[in-house]
Amino acid sequence: MKIPATSRTPAVEFLPGLCTIKGECYPEDITEFSAPVIGHLREGISKAKEYKVEIELYYFNSSSAKFFYDFFEYLDESASEGTMIEVVWRHREDDDTMEEAGEEFEEDLEHVKFTLESIG
Amino acid sequence: MNNDTIQLHELMLNRGTFFCYAGPLSEEVLTSLSSVVKDQLTETDSTSPITNKVFSIFVEQAQNIIRYSLDRLDKSGVGSVSISHTNDGFLIEAVNEVDGKSRERLEEILTQLKRMDAAELKAAYKQRLKQGPPEGSVGAGLGFIEVARRSSRFDFAFEEHNGQTLFLYRGWVNTHA
Repeated sequence: MKIPATSRTPAVEFLPGLCTIKGECYPEDITEFSAPVIGHLREGISKAKEYKVEIELYYFNSSSAKFFYDFFEYLDESASEGTMIEVVWRHREDDDTMEEAGEEFEEDLEHVKFTLESIG
Repeated sequence: MNNDTIQLHELMLNRGTFFCYAGPLSEEVLTSLSSVVKDQLTETDSTSPITNKVFSIFVEQAQNIIRYSLDRLDKSGVGSVSISHTNDGFLIEAVNEVDGKSRERLEEILTQLKRMDAAELKAAYKQRLKQGPPEGSVGAGLGFIEVARRSSRFDFAFEEHNGQTLFLYRGWVNTHA
């Protein structure tokens, strides 16, 4: 299942046990973007014992921050209920804004295994 | 008439304003403007984290006009957004009309944010994320905190002009922090 990137939303792909999000996120209407993503994520996690999420964002706006917050909250909840969940947050090496954003989301996670990865 | 055109040309060049839009702003218009602004920013010699901060402030200011400008045309909010080069980086400016009630609210929020240091801004941001949008807000109410966090400094003012109250909102991003 692939949701292609638009000029204001990232590419999202769902494979068994894996979700990847890559690009920029500042949609016109956050719900229009987030509803199918959360739907597929729920479905994927319900079928898996282990689930991995790979995120590579270059920019997201303040309206999208709430979506990512809820997204991680859902992942943490699922992890607390027994699914092994791993998140890899990739940021460009010199991008302190996205590095910080990853660190800030990580601070609120208790059950998810979270890795920050710097890319060249 | 010709003088007017020359004055506009000179004003923009003299103040280093390489992007300016004034008029009705909608999400559709913002999509088009974003791609222009991005092209312009990547043409400058600054590194991407700097231009990302400039872009981020531009988007928050534009969406603030779209959602809250008192002067409206259908779904659009009327206002202006501009980006200029400064000696030490970039200046992102926005102007739109507000009513008395919004002015009070804006003054309160922005005065509070101006007093906060980086750690306090981060805490305020997280608290807002957890609590959701304040009353009367379309977005998550995070936009002003975002501008405060991404800018090297910001300021705001209110001016009475032709019977309107104008909200002036400026953010600076310095290349050498």
